[in-house]
Amino acid sequence: MALALMSFLLPPDHITLYMAGDSTMSIKDVRAYPETGWGMPFKAFFDQTVTVDNKAKNGRSTKSFIAEGLWASISDNLKEGDYVLIQFGHNDEVPTKATYINEAGFTANLVKFITDTKAKNANPVLITPVARRKFNASGQVEGTHDVYSELVRKVAADQQVPLIDLDKESQALVQKYGPDDSKYLYDYVAPGENPNYPGGKSDDTHFSELGARKIAEIVLADIRALKLPLADRIVKVRMPPAPIKKAPVTQDTLTTPAVVKQR
Amino acid sequence: MKKKIALFAKALCLLTLVSFTVPAPTNITIWMIGDSTMCLYPIRQAPITGWGMPFANYFDKTVTIANHARGGRSTRTFLSEGLWKPVADSIKEGDYVFMQFGHNDEAKEPQYAARYTSVPDYKTNLIKFITETREKKGIPILVTPVSRRSFDKDGKAKETHVEYTAAVFEVGTQMNVPVIDLDKKSRELYQEMGPTRVKYLAMEVDSAEHPNYPRGQKDNTHFNEYGARRMAEIVLNDIKAQHISDLESRIVHGMNAPTVNPQVK
Repeated sequence: MALALMSFLLPPDHITLYMAGDSTMSIKDVRAYPETGWGMPFKAFFDQTVTVDNKAKNGRSTKSFIAEGLWASISDNLKEGDYVLIQFGHNDEVPTKATYINEAGFTANLVKFITDTKAKNANPVLITPVARRKFNASGQVEGTHDVYSELVRKVAADQQVPLIDLDKESQALVQKYGPDDSKYLYDYVAPGENPNYPGGKSDDTHFSELGARKIAEIVLADIRALKLPLADRIVKVRMPPAPIKKAPVTQDTLTTPAVVKQR
Repeated sequence: MKKKIALFAKALCLLTLVSFTVPAPTNITIWMIGDSTMCLYPIRQAPITGWGMPFANYFDKTVTIANHARGGRSTRTFLSEGLWKPVADSIKEGDYVFMQFGHNDEAKEPQYAARYTSVPDYKTNLIKFITETREKKGIPILVTPVSRRSFDKDGKAKETHVEYTAAVFEVGTQMNVPVIDLDKKSRELYQEMGPTRVKYLAMEVDSAEHPNYPRGQKDNTHFNEYGARRMAEIVLNDIKAQHISDLESRIVHGMNAPTVNPQVK
């Protein structure tokens, strides 16, 4: 009944964009801040016809995502026209982890995600695992997911599914920032800086707010470049009038609506 | 046996005493009044972020943050538009009021005449906020206006609020109110980062970057998510450094997390 009502209230072309992945994509508990998954800022990019449902979860591989019923929580609810963004690898590729899955198994799981999604007339998008911050002695970024990223590329080609090569593109971003400044993209906190990490933190896998947004912006740019129909649902801002030159941009001219309470 | 009973009685006494001396912390509200550098922003304006937004993430469950800061407001317009009254009416004993103004008070350009507030008026208004907070048994905290990101040609971070920051300190001394010197401490961070890296803190996006800003956006005053958090951290750490009343004990203290092995997640 509630569902029937919902379907009346939502515009007819309303879709859900599901996110399936690991800790680099997931929504963080406040206690883990400032660690930020790229799915968090990503949510701000779409208009009201899109509900972003981020099901990514820390530590998950394709194997554990399926075993724990997380995949079913997506596939059972998929509707025609929905999207599923799929990004795994960090926890699949490490043989010492319980979540490890060999290359054939990883490929089979990705194919399952695609098949299940297509069976509901929904749209899968494959994403290679986002880069870690790793430089060699001469300051060049080194890939840390080479084998599993290549598997994702191959599945995308075989299954004719749109591919966002985030591993490659985020490596380019990290290279652009360089060995020192790339720390601003990742969850680097000095001792005594943040109440959640009194002893500090140096994490070359997970992102800061800045890094998470920069990664989300890469994914968004690719959604546009791939000309996915989803791109029509990216938020459109009425072009503001050109800024009046006389007003110094340094001034505090922005205003906000009367949001009163937080938390 | 008697000894045991006596010991038990003593222990009971001690327990009772402890429960008297350490009352369970009551729930409090931190009211925030200020300008666009502190306020909340809707998702449609992301990634611009006021430092009051991440600030709210670092207190325990006894604290509610009520961020009433509003873009473009000076002490004068915050009062004249009736933005202070609902705060003043709602303050309860033990609540805090964090006040950070100055960016708009000090705007002398003709187009900002509607918000400009002279230094004497600025002080009078701050004193009004303080007095009315205390009438309700609330605890006022002054915050100097967060610095603009501006460097001289030698790469030295410039003071951008000289008169108004000095006025905050004068009011703090006169009224015996703690002052968090966000102006100075933010400038120290800018200096440490330098003119190039400081942009990582800034509300600065190019035209292709974020759909909320198709023309791009860049200024030397407002913050992105990262910059706002660094400002909030300055305020949080200063609350601890100054041992500001019971507020320090209400800041979360996370695990002393060791360096994370990249293989963990």
